[in-house]
Amino acid sequence: MTDKITDPVALWQKMVGEMEKGFNSFATKAMETPEFSQAMNRAGGVAAGAQKQIGDLMEKYLLSMNLPSREQMTGIAERLQSIEGQLGEIKSMLSQMSANSGAHQVGAAPRPPRTKRPPSEGGDQK
Amino acid sequence: MNAPTGLDLAAIPERIQSEVQRAIMRSIKGVEYFSTAGPSLGSTPKDVLHSRGTMSLYHYRPMSDEIYRVPVLIVMATTNRGYILDLVPGQSFIEFLLRRGYDVYMLDWSAPRPEEKNLRMEDYVLDFIPDCIRRVQADSGEQDVSVIGYCFGGVLSLLYGSIHKDGPMKNLICFTTPIDFREMKLFSNFSDRRYFDVDRLVDSVGNVPPEMILSSFELLRPASRTVSQIQLWENIWNDEFVKSYRMFDRWATDTLPLAGEYFRAITKDLMWDNKLFNDTMSVGGRAAKLENITVPILHAVAEHDHIVPYDAAKHLIAKIGSADKEEVILKGGHVSLVAGANAVKRLWPKLDSWLGRRST
Repeated sequence: MTDKITDPVALWQKMVGEMEKGFNSFATKAMETPEFSQAMNRAGGVAAGAQKQIGDLMEKYLLSMNLPSREQMTGIAERLQSIEGQLGEIKSMLSQMSANSGAHQVGAAPRPPRTKRPPSEGGDQK
Repeated sequence: MNAPTGLDLAAIPERIQSEVQRAIMRSIKGVEYFSTAGPSLGSTPKDVLHSRGTMSLYHYRPMSDEIYRVPVLIVMATTNRGYILDLVPGQSFIEFLLRRGYDVYMLDWSAPRPEEKNLRMEDYVLDFIPDCIRRVQADSGEQDVSVIGYCFGGVLSLLYGSIHKDGPMKNLICFTTPIDFREMKLFSNFSDRRYFDVDRLVDSVGNVPPEMILSSFELLRPASRTVSQIQLWENIWNDEFVKSYRMFDRWATDTLPLAGEYFRAITKDLMWDNKLFNDTMSVGGRAAKLENITVPILHAVAEHDHIVPYDAAKHLIAKIGSADKEEVILKGGHVSLVAGANAVKRLWPKLDSWLGRRST
């Protein structure tokens, strides 16, 4: 077999690896500068601002089309979430009541005993 | 026979044959790659114990005849999905813990909904985690609970532990957990308070979109995504490589949005004012000093972590009030520390030997 010095595939892979390291290192240095932060956040701020304006326009459009606005949908979602939360609580209470009454939970496998000791104390690892 | 240049001429035909075979396999496997789904992830049997908005609490079904007395609650980072700790059989941290006799629960996150944009740090630290702890106690019948926090899940666990100093947390394990946010140099520069208007962003978008989170992570190593795709093409004939690539790529790009108010607090309190490190952090008006944590703690950090550099994590153990505390530095990166073939050999056995002794 060819060794790594003469193997063109290995040389290619090494070159790609070195290029990756070199580019990452160069980019990191550039991104650590305050100028990068300023430029990045200026661009990000513009995008966020544009997104807000588009959102406002869309809301007006939906209103004119007699469709529910985002705020109204959010209100419905909040109510649904509250109902989900209450259902979760009821489910949890029912499980607790079932456990307290000693009733067997359908499909629930019996839990193993909590008696395990670490290998140094209890012999071999199970 | 070796030529004077060191080139093994006899091996060249064999090498050419091998490369031609690989080229053919690349074409076949390349088609296969795009026509098939990746491996099924997060499939260790579990029950959803509780679910509320962005929060889900799972209980994994025991795989051992006998389990340790103290259950374990894993707190996942809020930016990513918990299945990184439950990839596939044989490479699942959860499965490893279950087979070693632990009773495992996980606090995992789903994308916060638009109406959850007002979730604050208080909701995570003073509501979600305590709620899950109570449910673990009720389900297991045990008062003590060990907590494992991964990345920002570790930060949340530290905040929880520093506020609830009287228990019921029995042990704390943090994986790659930053406390000195000045040392996360790129993130720190991205969120430079002179240029980054977090209020404007949160007020505009509500929840911070996952694309923005993902872009921030990818900017830390901007060439790596392209190089990983080149490597995928080179190795597409290799089923094991492709399986591993698909698992990690799917997880890495499956980033979650962050609740707006929560993101605002992270930026102002941690990125700007470095309050956790400076011992000035409070959540909901309750002081969260690391010295308040007195339970046994293990902090595992990765030697080549580009997301949480060692400098950002190294002061944790010194600042913790516990007498029983240990830091372990292992080879690997932010993700390979906890998942994948190397984690199986390095972190998992270390964690088992540390936690087993403290779980009876």
